[in-house]
Amino acid sequence: MSLENYQKYLDPQTLAKLQGLELRARLIVEGYVSGLHRSPYHGFSIEFAEHREYAPGDDLRYVDWKVFGKSDKFYLKQYEEETNLVSHLVLDTSESMGYKSDAAPLTKLDYAQCVAAALAYLILQQQDSVGLVTFDREIRALIRPSSNPSHLRQLLHAMSQAHSERKTASGPIFHDLAERLKKRGVVIVLSDFFDDVPSMLAGLKHLRHRRHEVILFHVLDPAELEFPFRQPTLFKGLEGWPEVLADPRSLRRAYLDEFDRFVRELRQGCRAHRIDYVQMRTDQSLDLALSTYLTARLAKTR
Amino acid sequence: MLVHSVILAFFNHPAMLGWLLAAAAPLIIHLLSRRRYRQTQWAAMQYLLAAVRKNSRRIRVEQWLLLAVRTLILVLVACALAEPYLRHAGITLLSGGRTHKVLALDASFSMACKTNDKTRFDRARELAQRIVSESSQGDGFTLVLLASPPRVVVGTPVFERRDFLDELANLRVLDGDADLPATLAKVEEILASARREYARLSREEVFFLTDLGRNTWMPDLRTPAAVGEFRDRSQRLASAATLVVADLGQDGVDNVAVTGLRPLESFVTLARDATLEAELHNFGRQNRERQHVELVVDGRRAGESQVDLPAGESAAVAFPYRFDGPGDHSVEVRATGDSLDVDNHRWLALPAVEHLRVLCVNGKPAGGDFRGATDYLVVALSPGGLTDERSVVRPEIVTERALSETDLDQYDCIFLCNVARFTPSESRLLESYVRGGGGLVIFLGDQVRAESYNSQLAAERDPFDGKPGRPNAARHDGQAKNAIGSQPGLLPAKLVELAPLARDEPYLFNPLGYRHPIVSPFRGRDRAGLLTAPTYEYFRLRPVESASTALAFANGDAAIVETRVGQGHSILVATSADASWTAWPMWPSYVPVAQELVAAAVRGRMEERRVQIGQTLSGAIANHLAETAVTIETPAGDHQSVRVETGDGALRWTFDGVDRSGFYRVDYGPPLVRQELFAANVDTAESDLARVSLDDLRDDVWPGVRFESFDGQVAAEEPTSSIVRRDALHHGLLYAALALMLFETSLASWLGGRAA
Repeated sequence: MSLENYQKYLDPQTLAKLQGLELRARLIVEGYVSGLHRSPYHGFSIEFAEHREYAPGDDLRYVDWKVFGKSDKFYLKQYEEETNLVSHLVLDTSESMGYKSDAAPLTKLDYAQCVAAALAYLILQQQDSVGLVTFDREIRALIRPSSNPSHLRQLLHAMSQAHSERKTASGPIFHDLAERLKKRGVVIVLSDFFDDVPSMLAGLKHLRHRRHEVILFHVLDPAELEFPFRQPTLFKGLEGWPEVLADPRSLRRAYLDEFDRFVRELRQGCRAHRIDYVQMRTDQSLDLALSTYLTARLAKTR
Repeated sequence: MLVHSVILAFFNHPAMLGWLLAAAAPLIIHLLSRRRYRQTQWAAMQYLLAAVRKNSRRIRVEQWLLLAVRTLILVLVACALAEPYLRHAGITLLSGGRTHKVLALDASFSMACKTNDKTRFDRARELAQRIVSESSQGDGFTLVLLASPPRVVVGTPVFERRDFLDELANLRVLDGDADLPATLAKVEEILASARREYARLSREEVFFLTDLGRNTWMPDLRTPAAVGEFRDRSQRLASAATLVVADLGQDGVDNVAVTGLRPLESFVTLARDATLEAELHNFGRQNRERQHVELVVDGRRAGESQVDLPAGESAAVAFPYRFDGPGDHSVEVRATGDSLDVDNHRWLALPAVEHLRVLCVNGKPAGGDFRGATDYLVVALSPGGLTDERSVVRPEIVTERALSETDLDQYDCIFLCNVARFTPSESRLLESYVRGGGGLVIFLGDQVRAESYNSQLAAERDPFDGKPGRPNAARHDGQAKNAIGSQPGLLPAKLVELAPLARDEPYLFNPLGYRHPIVSPFRGRDRAGLLTAPTYEYFRLRPVESASTALAFANGDAAIVETRVGQGHSILVATSADASWTAWPMWPSYVPVAQELVAAAVRGRMEERRVQIGQTLSGAIANHLAETAVTIETPAGDHQSVRVETGDGALRWTFDGVDRSGFYRVDYGPPLVRQELFAANVDTAESDLARVSLDDLRDDVWPGVRFESFDGQVAAEEPTSSIVRRDALHHGLLYAALALMLFETSLASWLGGRAA
């Protein structure tokens, strides 16, 4: 892990602006330690939650003897417990993420990596654990979550190894992820989601089914949102798409319609499955985009 | 080949059609832009592809639409540059119809005006030749000369161009003026007959090749009805045909014309000098100093003079000349040249006589002592006596009965004094004599039977109505019009009744302001004895309409009435020639009045030798000379024989080919063997080279009449066929191109806006 990677992904200014913000799980997450986040484990702390019938193997220390005395049945006392957050950064490194228009300072992948790095830094700062998954056609790297501050270095290194290539097929990958990520936590997907929306949504739904909280960071280039071309242009498709020679002015309206429909479909799917959807433009300043989202999220959580 | 001829037939500047290539520009730009494009990688390709798939058809249509509009703009502009012309809403190609082109060439003599060695008429002819040679195959041509009277040169459409061009080449300008209304009528006739006979000539064009002379184009239409007819006819022509006025004149051309030439004397004798007075007028805007004028008599130069001519003014030059032999003399006055030569000459055929032979018919012969009716008169006419060799007037006296047996034609003038009545044969003889140019003076007297005079000499019978005649005060200007036909009789007045005998107070004369030539010598000489001459008896006269009263009585009754009858003049004196009714013969004014009566009566013989261009030459031949052949030598030198016809009981010849100024020599063949000289002069109203502008033409002459016009001088390079309806069309194309440009802009921005 070199210093370059730090500088590449973690702009000190951005980090400074994110200082004081924290990513808190809105849904219940499973963690290892007591922390900021509500844990699904009903443990042994101060706040009583409920009684549960004893099952063989339960720790006899938590048996509520008073209840046993009254009802002659074994019940365990259960308490609410705050635990730590496990978050998974899922980064799309496919070829389409390598696109950068003239107006944008970064490729989408670069931008997504910065977002991921910033989030990782943030999560590690708050003593939570973060893992990383990169994928294109299949899962390329999978780093288990850890809350060790030095873990950041490993994450950044893994990110820097990612090259945008090959074709995305996100739906099956999400299914695969849902199977692999055992511990419930926050799954943060950073991608342009240029794929078949229903199949993607099916994969994301699987993640939700596994009780993960899912956040989509939809990273888009401004050119993709605005289609600002004037001259006749030969569009060379990435990821195996064919070339198209077109007069952009006459096509603009139609393209924007298509693109809006795609975004709308994705957004509606997210809303239906209680997935957070955040659109990010690569010409937006990173800190602004992130802090806006995190602030809003914090407000909702509290 | 077909395409080529179609292009030539429709465009003024076919070369400009080269610009049509520019119409390919949008297409080329479009294709080039498809080759020159930027490249970019694109991630969101599936959405772009979907957009292309769904919209490619619409985009292609829009692109082609834009491309078509842009191409059309350039095509329109290129076509406008080529100045297309379509005749009658462009049905040429569809109907295959042909055009009937009527060429009306102005042949008035102002067209002879020369600049740069070419007359206006030459230019008109060249233009006409071009119109013909640049016309489409199958067009028909007719040709009219805008003249007075209009001359139809080619009346039915000619399709063979060479024949028509030959006709054109033989044309020359006439020396007359032009009658526009009559020419329009002719043109209308030609068009109407062509419509009947040549149905395939579906369109009509009338070209007026003219210098737009004011004299021609501002016709002097006296009555509102004539004006209305002229406008209606023009309107009809304009609605049926395309009228094109080609202006071939120039502004600001100076011109001097000899507007008049006449002897100051009523008759010219060898015995005394004649004074030939020429009048010159400067029609230009610049003063002409020391204008040289020449007198040529019988082909020899007989005098010259110089005269200053202020702009717009006239000046007279008098040449004294004594003719050295009897007979007709040719007199010509020439002014030195300017751009219009025709009117620098004035011709005069002047018969000179050794003396005037006057026949005095004595109705009341009496043996001497001045009791006969003609006694005083003869003395007054020839104071030296009947045999005086020096006397200009040679009177001969015959009795009433001898009248019918005398050959009247040998006399210049006849006096009838106190003749009682006339037989029909006598009245016919007298009428034939006067109509042939003789002079007749009638004195009344106590023997006169008024009813015989009224019935025989005035053909119209007028019942005695008892009212005294009144002098026609409106007509004493000596301008009595020749009114053959409208004036039935020989007498200038009807005899009404005898005035009451003046016993105490005699009747005295009223000279009516000395306006008539007979009494004008007394002007300013009130004491010369005219006003004091006492009259005791006279006939009350009622002058006919054409007559003029030279002298009246103080009570207003006419004393001397004069009129023109045919070529001659007839004068009626209300009182007697002798002293029976009046003491006038003893008065000093009697002799001059008698001399002036002769002069006034004989001037018909002089006048008949003067005609204007377009008028008819005519003469009478005695009945027994029916075999006489009459030939006329025109100024051009060719000889034309003339038919002799019977009319009004006398033999007459007429010649209406007077189209050139100069002398017309009439040769009477055997048995007469005689020559007469006639002088034809131009009407110098046409010498005024003032023109009407096209604006005047549009506003004043042809208000509301649609016509095309062009400047014949400028049009040299343009094909003449383009004159018709050309501006409207290429203007229309330009407007259409402009509208398309606006449409293109809004279309492009609308499409762009939709795309945005």
